[in-house]
Amino acid sequence: MQTPQTSPASHPAVVPERVPGTVQIFWSRFRKNPLTMVGGVIFILFVLIALLAPVLTGNDPNQVRMDLALQKPSAEHWFGTDEVGRDLFARVIYGTRLSLGMGISIIIVAGLVGTILGAVAGYLGGKIGQIIMRIMDVILAFPTLILAMALSAAMGPSLMNAILAIVIVKIPAFVRLARSETLVVKEKLFVKAAQTFGLSDTWIIVRHIIPNVITPVIIQMTLDLGDAILMVATLGFLGLGVQPPTPEWGAIISTGWRYFLDQWWYPTFPGIAIFLVTISFNIIGDGLRDMLDPRSAR
Amino acid sequence: MWAVIRNRLLMLIVVIFGVSCITFLMSNVIPGDPARMIVGVKATEETYQRVREQMGLNDPLYEQYLNYMQGLLTGDLGTSLRTQQPVIEDLITYFPATLELVLYAFLIAIILGVFIGVLTAVKNNSMWDHIGRIFSISGVSLPVFWSGLMAIILFYGVLGWLPASERLDLFIDAPPTITGLYTIDSLLAGDMEAFSNSVLHLIMPVSILAFVHLSAITRQIRASMLDVLQQDYIKTARANGISSSFLIIRYALRNALMPAVTVVGLSIGSLLGGAVVTETIFNWPGMGKYVVDSIGSLDFPAIMGFTILIAIGYVLINLLVDLLYMVLDPQIRE
Amino acid sequence: MKRWGMALLATLMLLAAACSKQETPSAAPGDAQTAQQAESASKEQKLVVAIPAEPGPLDPAVSMDNSAWKLTYNSYERLIEYDGEKTDLVPGLAKEWKVSPDNKVFTFSLESGHKFADGTEVNAEAVKFTFDRLLKVGKGPSDSFAMIDQVKVIDPLTVEFQLKEPYPLFLPRFTNNYASIINPKVMEHERDGDLAQGWLAENTAGSGPYQLTEYKKSQYYKYTPNPHSSIKPAITTVYFQVSSDVSATRLKLIKGEIDIAEGIPVDQQLALEKEENVQLIKSPSLTVDYVYMNIGKGHEALKDVKFRQALNYAVNYQAIIKNVQQDTAIQLRGPVPEGLWGHDENAKMYTYDLDRAKQLLSESGKSGVELTLLYSDQRAIWEPIALALQNDFSQIGVQVKLNKVAYATMREMLDKGEFDLSLGMWSPDTADPWEFMSPWFDSERWGLSGNRSFYKNEEVDKMLREAASIQDQEKRLQLYLDVTKIVNEDAVYIYLDQRQFLLPMSKKVQGFKYNPMLEGIYNLDEMSVSP
Repeated sequence: MQTPQTSPASHPAVVPERVPGTVQIFWSRFRKNPLTMVGGVIFILFVLIALLAPVLTGNDPNQVRMDLALQKPSAEHWFGTDEVGRDLFARVIYGTRLSLGMGISIIIVAGLVGTILGAVAGYLGGKIGQIIMRIMDVILAFPTLILAMALSAAMGPSLMNAILAIVIVKIPAFVRLARSETLVVKEKLFVKAAQTFGLSDTWIIVRHIIPNVITPVIIQMTLDLGDAILMVATLGFLGLGVQPPTPEWGAIISTGWRYFLDQWWYPTFPGIAIFLVTISFNIIGDGLRDMLDPRSAR
Repeated sequence: MWAVIRNRLLMLIVVIFGVSCITFLMSNVIPGDPARMIVGVKATEETYQRVREQMGLNDPLYEQYLNYMQGLLTGDLGTSLRTQQPVIEDLITYFPATLELVLYAFLIAIILGVFIGVLTAVKNNSMWDHIGRIFSISGVSLPVFWSGLMAIILFYGVLGWLPASERLDLFIDAPPTITGLYTIDSLLAGDMEAFSNSVLHLIMPVSILAFVHLSAITRQIRASMLDVLQQDYIKTARANGISSSFLIIRYALRNALMPAVTVVGLSIGSLLGGAVVTETIFNWPGMGKYVVDSIGSLDFPAIMGFTILIAIGYVLINLLVDLLYMVLDPQIRE
Repeated sequence: MKRWGMALLATLMLLAAACSKQETPSAAPGDAQTAQQAESASKEQKLVVAIPAEPGPLDPAVSMDNSAWKLTYNSYERLIEYDGEKTDLVPGLAKEWKVSPDNKVFTFSLESGHKFADGTEVNAEAVKFTFDRLLKVGKGPSDSFAMIDQVKVIDPLTVEFQLKEPYPLFLPRFTNNYASIINPKVMEHERDGDLAQGWLAENTAGSGPYQLTEYKKSQYYKYTPNPHSSIKPAITTVYFQVSSDVSATRLKLIKGEIDIAEGIPVDQQLALEKEENVQLIKSPSLTVDYVYMNIGKGHEALKDVKFRQALNYAVNYQAIIKNVQQDTAIQLRGPVPEGLWGHDENAKMYTYDLDRAKQLLSESGKSGVELTLLYSDQRAIWEPIALALQNDFSQIGVQVKLNKVAYATMREMLDKGEFDLSLGMWSPDTADPWEFMSPWFDSERWGLSGNRSFYKNEEVDKMLREAASIQDQEKRLQLYLDVTKIVNEDAVYIYLDQRQFLLPMSKKVQGFKYNPMLEGIYNLDEMSVSP
């Protein structure tokens, strides 16, 4: 979570109202909310799976064994094998690393860039603010998936390009959120005080604005994480995501779907994995909002 | 009010300019030449160059762009490379199918979303709350491409209750076009066979799409409802013995609806995004499928036409939301 | 003629039935037996073919796409046709033709009585119009007729083609979809000087047995018989329905909603074969799968013939054929596939031999080589083949990086030579070994137009050009066999396999004939669907 206090020594008067005790309140509420607990447990489970992938399976997710193509789930291959004999359990497990890694990095970059742009647009306003917001309008006017598809088609399908495409699509929501929060914070006493001290805009944005708009941004980030993972998978499904043979859930489903009628297990398990990870983030995000949002927490 | 409309129209110009610039630049960056797709794999260099020339691909980029924008002013979105038809005509053909899909999905999502939102707020922290929330969150957590295909296998393959894809059975004639929505046109024509058939075809894609958007609406309604239910006037009214259901509907819901309207307006982009995948899975002959096919064959006039149309729609819907806000909340009008 | 009479009867009966339901079939002329036949024929026969994607424009002068040809081939007629399942040429619209001794003037006499769907007669003017338009449109198909100097109308039923230079392989080109004779009246639909390309993209205007009567974008194409054609087909309505999802298509075939299912992957087809109501058509085809090795513009190591041979020996061909092609293919021996003259059954064939491969690799002195392998999602089997090759090459220490791109991008990269290895397939347009020789090995055709290994060998160039300019088949055969020897030794490509043509269809469908030159094209007028 964020640092609860922003340089109290230099500006003792400048203490944001919302922040004190957030962490404690958060924990006490978290314990009382069973649904969010469940989401948290699932999430931690997947993080563990991602970290411990090599321990959980001795199989190489990319080992081609043509003679073992399309095997049923068995003690040896828990989720069966694919059309070139790769172990699907290993591919789903290693896919967790990729999906979580991509999802988290997308959201962190988008959240960071979006917050900075939003804070700048909100605090400075004027021409710069106008320009930033108009660019965001343009991006928002694109149907998200189409923009991501077109971007990753234009840049060539690869891991980095898929991440970049989704980051671009995700930024405007954060900008809007950060800007509207900034507009509120901007009028607060501590900001006015900082301005009268003659502190630079950069300093004020970094030390005062951003720490005070970060809570709703973090809630939004958790909620968007699930969506980002879904988008990664959708791009993968449409053949615009990572390059083969990288084990990516959407890509596995895309290929596996053709085999569903005879080998039901092939697309089923990665689908369940996507669902569980996404729902855990959405539950956590939903819960976080209830807990941290002062309005709904009343 | 006029200021709002003026601002939105200004935004429209900015957005169209931005969107067309981005797509145009993208079409130039993309490796993969539309002329190659047309001449086929075995063509000679000479033919290929001639077709490039014909298609105006050898003109400088800014000239191509100016030509395009000039056409745009007269409602000409260029000619699709893939279908060889004017893009605007293609889009007009595909539009009603998407509209029908999105419209019903929206209606169902709103009705169900309001219901679950109210239920979970009124029964806050009960079992109903948890069930309702898990249900609505599931929708946004399921990959559409996966749940859609699973639904086809289950309801078409195994149970045989619903048709797998398309808008109508092959041997049933489409009703005469009035609105382009088969359900409405068939009713107007009194063709009950086409009506019931088109409803059957709508059930699966509409449910899948509505399910995805349920969560955002439920979440918003629930939060606002919780908020409103805590207000003093509601508490007082309750204490005075006014029936809860009357209160909920008359006051709480009405106030909770407004933020929900915003969510609905803003999510139109993602709704169309969801429609793209849904249409692909269910072979639904709408704009989403059209644009996916167009991206596949790098048909940039078609992609641009689609994005510009959506951009215009996006701005207009936002305008509509603004206006609706004013109607719902007279205070803003001043 | 018998069929014609039957269909006439059928039409009469339909009319009769429409006027009054009480009227008995005996009202129609003819004996009891024909009446009975007529009764069964009067039943509407519908055929539904599921196609995986909507093809591009239908205009014969534009489309280079086999998936569009199958939608138009039956709506047009050509001067020359293929003989049923054989690759021999037989008269079509032209009842006979003459070739001048210098191979420069081709004269066709048209058979009278062929009519376009609007009732106008097919004449020499229409032929001239078709080819003038084809060249003026100047898209892909014009390549095949670029040697035409002019088309002259001698009299209403005689037309003469004058060529710029002698071209002995001219005649087979008239059987192709793009040589379909078009009704000159289409020019009424011309818009902005597009030579009616826009209209023909979604309509047909030919003299074939069927015409396109309804087209619902992204949904289906509906065909009904051409009322003016002398051929009266049994199937009264043909639908080509777009059905992109493989599992849904498969279920529809099992449930009897569709009659023919295209776009089903090989292994699924074999599973479908087990269904009670499904038959699987299997025929040898001339379609081949192979790997381009970019000699001219790719990785330095590929310039070394020993390195290329090493790769050729490192591929486990049988594993690919067994697991990816499900034993529905055979290993390709030499460039020209089995079933086409010019195929050399004694040609050198590389087999899976890791020791040999390793030895050749060390002789070449190349080590630690990393190559890219290009493919796209255009064809489902490419990915498993790519993975298998990656695995095979790693056995001899050659690392492969897969590069999967959009199909349009792949074409561009192939043309520019931006790859080391690439998966590819090829199928001939005419039944002549030229199709597998000149495009593949002539250094004038570097890039997308055929020589995708960017191979250059002056001796080969000379022999290929000679073979293309003479008519003496014996001599051409010898030249092609000689070239085959050289290029096999040079290991220009990796020949993977020659596939079978597979098509799952309902057992109710009868009369389908497969012609290897018209792969995927239906002989609709000879087919029927039993109730």
